[in-house]
Amino acid sequence: MSTTEKLVFSSSPHLKDKVSVPSAMRDVFIALMPVTAAAIYFFRLYAVFTIAVALITAVLTELLFSRLMGKKHSLYDWSALLTGLFVALLFPATAAWWTVAIATFIAVGIAKELMGGLGWNLFNPALFGRVAVILLAPWLAYVSGWFAPLAPNLGPVDTLTQATPLAMLQSGSADLPSLGRLFVGFPAGALSEVSPLLVLIGAAYLFYRGHINWRIPASILGTVMVLSAILGHNPVYQICTGGIMIGAFFMATDWVTSPFTGRGKLIFGAAIGVLIVVFRFGLAPTEGVAFSILIMNAFVPLINRKTTHPQFGHVRKAVAVE
Amino acid sequence: MEVKQFVGGIHVPHHKSFSEHKAIKEASVPAEIIIPLVQHTGVPNQPLVNVGDRVKAGQLIGATDKFVSAPVHASLSGTVTAVERRLCFTGEMVQSVVISVDRDQDKLELADVDLDKVTREEAIKAVREAGVVGMGGAAFPTAVKLSPPPDKKIDALLINGCECEPFLTCDHRIMVEQPEKLLRGVRLLMDILGVKHAYVCVEDNKPDAIEALRQKNKDPQIVLVKLPTKYPQGSEKHLVKAVLDREIPSGGLPFDVGTLIQNVGTCVAVYEAVKHRRPLIDRVVTVTGQNVRDPQNLLVKIGTPLSHLIAECGGIMQQPAKVVVGGPMTGKAQQTLEAPVVKGTTGVVVLPPDLALEDMDYRACVSCCRCVEHCPVMIYPNQISIYCEAGLVREAAYWNTMDCIECGICAYVCPSKRPIVQWVQLTKPLIRQLESERK
Ligand code: SF4
Ligand code: SF4
Repeated sequence: MSTTEKLVFSSSPHLKDKVSVPSAMRDVFIALMPVTAAAIYFFRLYAVFTIAVALITAVLTELLFSRLMGKKHSLYDWSALLTGLFVALLFPATAAWWTVAIATFIAVGIAKELMGGLGWNLFNPALFGRVAVILLAPWLAYVSGWFAPLAPNLGPVDTLTQATPLAMLQSGSADLPSLGRLFVGFPAGALSEVSPLLVLIGAAYLFYRGHINWRIPASILGTVMVLSAILGHNPVYQICTGGIMIGAFFMATDWVTSPFTGRGKLIFGAAIGVLIVVFRFGLAPTEGVAFSILIMNAFVPLINRKTTHPQFGHVRKAVAVE
Repeated sequence: MEVKQFVGGIHVPHHKSFSEHKAIKEASVPAEIIIPLVQHTGVPNQPLVNVGDRVKAGQLIGATDKFVSAPVHASLSGTVTAVERRLCFTGEMVQSVVISVDRDQDKLELADVDLDKVTREEAIKAVREAGVVGMGGAAFPTAVKLSPPPDKKIDALLINGCECEPFLTCDHRIMVEQPEKLLRGVRLLMDILGVKHAYVCVEDNKPDAIEALRQKNKDPQIVLVKLPTKYPQGSEKHLVKAVLDREIPSGGLPFDVGTLIQNVGTCVAVYEAVKHRRPLIDRVVTVTGQNVRDPQNLLVKIGTPLSHLIAECGGIMQQPAKVVVGGPMTGKAQQTLEAPVVKGTTGVVVLPPDLALEDMDYRACVSCCRCVEHCPVMIYPNQISIYCEAGLVREAAYWNTMDCIECGICAYVCPSKRPIVQWVQLTKPLIRQLESERK
């Protein structure tokens, strides 16, 4: 028998599941396609342009930071592209392109890469980028002056200036879309807010692929519905507005920035739900979802530590022998 | 019988079809055998033979007077050519007796003892002298297991026929082909332990084994239990949980809940040891995988080199291959085919190039929770992986690394391909050291 067999050596287990980080990220990308398509349908070139700016900025930022930090870029794990797409979907089609670019730069460069790369970030990068440009708005307004001549003219789209249903609700506007229309597709607000139905279809795909767990979306939606019913609002209408769907199914369920314990997921979701309602009816009506999720991101380590389950064989003493 | 499901676990593709319907066949005699002096968990044996000695099949060649051990025997007749350190399947060098095998082998002389007249002590002594160890892989000396501390009362015997590892079919074939011997072994064990209940546990993906046992079982105190197929159903903790709904305490052993577990192959070996005074010199080994030409269940003499077994099964088809001793979830990959079959060798799995994965580039934990959801001992492999990787032993201990049964599920499901089990294996000794320093 020859002893020259070429044998591969490694540690156990010797079988591995097919799912990998890149394949999972790609699945999330695919799950976002229906709502992205709807946004493009409604806002035409404006949506295409916003998404393109975000994707290109994401790739360039990833390359820049991996060069600066002297490591291999991780473009092939799809996470930079996915963050870029998420950022774009959080903006309305009318957003100035440099704002989108700055948000993407902050998301990929600062919230992800500077925090140590995918896996080590405390905050959801896309939401962090989005909220950062809101907080930086006074300074950005100054910068806008320089960039304004660079704004492209992409032709007229009448839906661009439509008030969001959430704003209409607040102002008591009479043009409020019907619930059915709102659910299927209503062009207002951020790109991802145009169709709760298509967000749900994407989410169904993620459930099917086993990438998200029911606990976080269910506790967010449940809490918002119960609280808004108590406050005298139509609960179903509430969860179909203001990006709650995309927040509950795609943002709050982000693996890295949500709790890893079962009970922790429920607590995390419920707290986000409470915060959303507080923002919506108490404070500013816009971007309440983004702020709520980011605030709870900061509590994830604490929630994890307080909600672990006991291991097999814990406490239970030896049973009496019959 | 009603059984309980345990939390966690996964359905791994079985890959059993390569060999599950192949009858056990006796392997040919190799030119040389290598018998490691330690094939069990416990104290190593001292060699009783020297280079140049003639040995007969079944002759005692290694023993010690320490309690936690099992002696070793020559599995074939021949001449001792070396007593030296040789490569073991674990990758360690182990003191071994190397025997150049005679071309003509005599038939093993067997006794025929009347089982009704054997006392408990005589039976345990026979098991000890035959060198019987747990044949499911753990290789703990059976005679030691049969002598539990007096304060631990045992009231239930579980016979583990789950064989939950993918690919392996040796236990399956034993149940199908030797149900009577197996059941007699079970009765013998019950008498030794003085227990009134024995449960023979088989996963429901082996209906022919269940049927064979049902037909032969006339003993009302032996209950057949059909268990759902789920990895790691054959783990001691999970078997006891599923069948008796008793939870072995963290850090404890089955006898802490009044239970003793034996593998089906061990039952047959116990029967042979007591009835025929036959030493444990051969065992059934599944040689299988997509990458071996003719998968088989072989009756193999202990000490047979892996290269001989693989040649017997038509050889490896495609290079590079991965050869795993044991099941693919917990077994050891081999760098060469020199290592011999030992008493705990359940199978040799030859994986094809596309499954012959090296340790991959792994990524940071992305906290996907797949490992947390599937870990059968309900610990947090994600946290364990982070702290073990960073060498933070205290934190690793805090997250219950010691409870890990090294089943491999976490690393199997991890999308970041983190080598969690490897880290756990490296960290456990450090935690033990830390704990002993604290005392
Ligand atoms: S190897 Fe250990 S940590 Fe990983 S799943 Fe199995 S028991 Fe849990
Ligand atoms: S499966 Fe891997 S990536 Fe997912 S939580 Fe566990 S260790 Fe982290």
